[in-house]
Amino acid sequence: MSGNMSFTNLIIFPFIFGILFTSRDEPRIIQDFTLKNVNNEMISTATYNDAKGFIVVFICNECPFAKLYSKRLNALSAKYKSLNVPLLAINSMDTLVYEDESFKDMQVKAKSDKFTFPYLHDVNQLVAKNFNAEHTPSAFIIWKEQNQWVLKYKGAIDDNGEHPSLAVPYVANNVDALLKNKPVLLNETLSFGCRIFYR
Amino acid sequence: MKKKLLPLFLLIILTFNAKGQSYNNLWIPDTLNGTNFNLRIIDTFAQIVNTGNQTITGAINGKFWGPTIFVNKGDQIQMNVQNKLKDSVTIHWHGMHLPAVMDGGPHQIIPPNTIWKPYWTIKNEAATYWYHPHLHEMAMEQITKGIGGLLIVRDAKEKALALPRKYGVDDIPLILSDRDFNSSNQFSIVPYGDSMLTNMTLRAKYDVPAQVVRFRVLNAAIERSFNIGFSDGRTFYVITSDGGLLNEPVAKTKYLLHAGERIEILVNFTNQNGSNVDLKAYNSLLGNNIPGGENFVNGPFANFLGKKDFNILRINVGAPTANPITSIPNTLAANTYLKAADAQLTRLLTISDSSGFPNILGPNAFLINRKLYKLNYNEYNVPLNNTEIWQITSSSIFGHPFHIHDVEFNILSINGVAPDASQAGWKDVVFVPGRTGNTNSVVKFIAKFDDFADPLHPFMYHCHIALHEDEGMMGQFVVTNTTATRNLDPLNDHFNVYPNPAQDRIFIRFNSPNQSAYYVKIIDALGRTKLMLPQPHLENGIDIHSLKAGIYHLLLTDQDSKRTSSRTFVKPE
Repeated sequence: MSGNMSFTNLIIFPFIFGILFTSRDEPRIIQDFTLKNVNNEMISTATYNDAKGFIVVFICNECPFAKLYSKRLNALSAKYKSLNVPLLAINSMDTLVYEDESFKDMQVKAKSDKFTFPYLHDVNQLVAKNFNAEHTPSAFIIWKEQNQWVLKYKGAIDDNGEHPSLAVPYVANNVDALLKNKPVLLNETLSFGCRIFYR
Repeated sequence: MKKKLLPLFLLIILTFNAKGQSYNNLWIPDTLNGTNFNLRIIDTFAQIVNTGNQTITGAINGKFWGPTIFVNKGDQIQMNVQNKLKDSVTIHWHGMHLPAVMDGGPHQIIPPNTIWKPYWTIKNEAATYWYHPHLHEMAMEQITKGIGGLLIVRDAKEKALALPRKYGVDDIPLILSDRDFNSSNQFSIVPYGDSMLTNMTLRAKYDVPAQVVRFRVLNAAIERSFNIGFSDGRTFYVITSDGGLLNEPVAKTKYLLHAGERIEILVNFTNQNGSNVDLKAYNSLLGNNIPGGENFVNGPFANFLGKKDFNILRINVGAPTANPITSIPNTLAANTYLKAADAQLTRLLTISDSSGFPNILGPNAFLINRKLYKLNYNEYNVPLNNTEIWQITSSSIFGHPFHIHDVEFNILSINGVAPDASQAGWKDVVFVPGRTGNTNSVVKFIAKFDDFADPLHPFMYHCHIALHEDEGMMGQFVVTNTTATRNLDPLNDHFNVYPNPAQDRIFIRFNSPNQSAYYVKIIDALGRTKLMLPQPHLENGIDIHSLKAGIYHLLLTDQDSKRTSSRTFVKPE
């Protein structure tokens, strides 16, 4: 017990809820971004002319929980690339503090896990900040509406890291819905794993 | 908090318990033996909740809580602590008597990807100790994640006794804590959880043999105390306090164990094959000024276990083992305890609620000596070899488990009364009760501050409720050797490193034969600390095989002058 906190809560909570509700009402727009792939090519969302949307997944080299998802990300990429919803994986970890998250180690990781999707290096953490990504792994679905990328979903890829066969595939279900011009089933779930620390 | 779910939750618990299906087999931590220990602190995950997603945890080598480390009194042990978390951490050896620079307090911060190599000679008596993070303002979060573990000291005195010591069979570790899980099975970082967690197990059960069984019980909770006892009201025997064997076993039917405290108990299951009994926390009996005795319905401290009795472990008694222990020993040890007359001085400390000191931190914190912890403020200089009485006067409405580093102490009195026989031995945590009405509570203990002096690195004293510690209910002291002579000649702390380039080992050549290193750090060209070596032995050089090729700076702090200077070397491809 630590004294009486309810008075502070009374003052702060209306502020927090106020912020949440106003931001929920308006669609969040994500700007086009360009990042370097592990093959040293620059990849830009603006050059995917046929894309209906993107699955953007923040991962990293060393997070044990993110590592569980390599195969599932390959499967998601394989399924939705041909439906014009490409998957982009982004590493936004601070490479100064975490040596294992270097571009060189990203190249090793992409090769060893046979990534079939671009693995992009967000070296200045600007794209992660734009998405407000907090953990690896965490997934975002952005969808093209009136020539803008509108954020449709943020959260976990699915709800079981170790046992894919038991998982509810949040991202796949939502993309399926969007492809049928239906609203997403869930616009937000909790993401967890390794924290992305911003420099 | 989750008020609407409570009836449903209770219904599920009752249904499952009635069918006897809901128990999980108690997980027992792995063990490490020897004198050289590799501890790798990692971000990981564990299936703690039976169904649904895994819980993100921190761990040492494993999944949740680290290995149980067995050491022998008199051995010099080397710890190789590698931080593979995405965050800084420290590891404190709770209860160990060792140099402050090895102690792992808030000052010995291990950055990510760094190896910290403390070593010391085990001077503690046989008993159950533990290790856990002590990074200021991060202790609650990192302990919640499961970083920590048991450290068991063995010695000749304990080995000579007829006591159970088959780990996991008749000598069973019980790490008690409670956790709160969100809808995705993730930990909430809160002082009280809704679920009892025994080791890593929810609703734990375990099979024990029909003989005398030893339980090593650690309260590793963030805040909660556990008033332990058995569902059939049976007598158990307390054989240790925090830091050693008691003179003789103390018969008890209840024992109130506070955060940070350990006891070892003996329970006699002889001839009870086929029966079962529950080890429980009888927290409905606790007053509301004892952690876990409050009955908050709303707010950040509300939880399902507050002021309730709940199960810690369902015990099923099976067949006895070969050569079982079947009786409780009459005597254990012949301890010589410190007496008040031994003390050179009495230090007067206070514990207070900050409500009377609104300028300090608003009304929400608890204070020691009317101030909050600051990393660079030293409260006491304790002369080496001093025997001191610490008298703590508390005006706080709430009780606090007070822990001191460096020493094991003897409690002299709690509100003027000598401690119960079960607490009359060596201790490193003492519960300071909340005030009664307008009467402050007073606790006195006595300790000898011998062996280790260090003017730079302090030892901590603090409330072991991790929330309170993080909020600043902590202070620090240095033990100083006033008779030591120091060589402060600037020409005499010069050194060189060789060979350069260096492949597997780097050696240090001092200017004078009397020189030694207080601290060596190896830092890469981008400023990342790679190795932290407190008071290193340098005769055989420093092992650098784990470093990648590159340019490195070796920072050496001289033992005498405490001046730090650096040399640069290259590790070739």
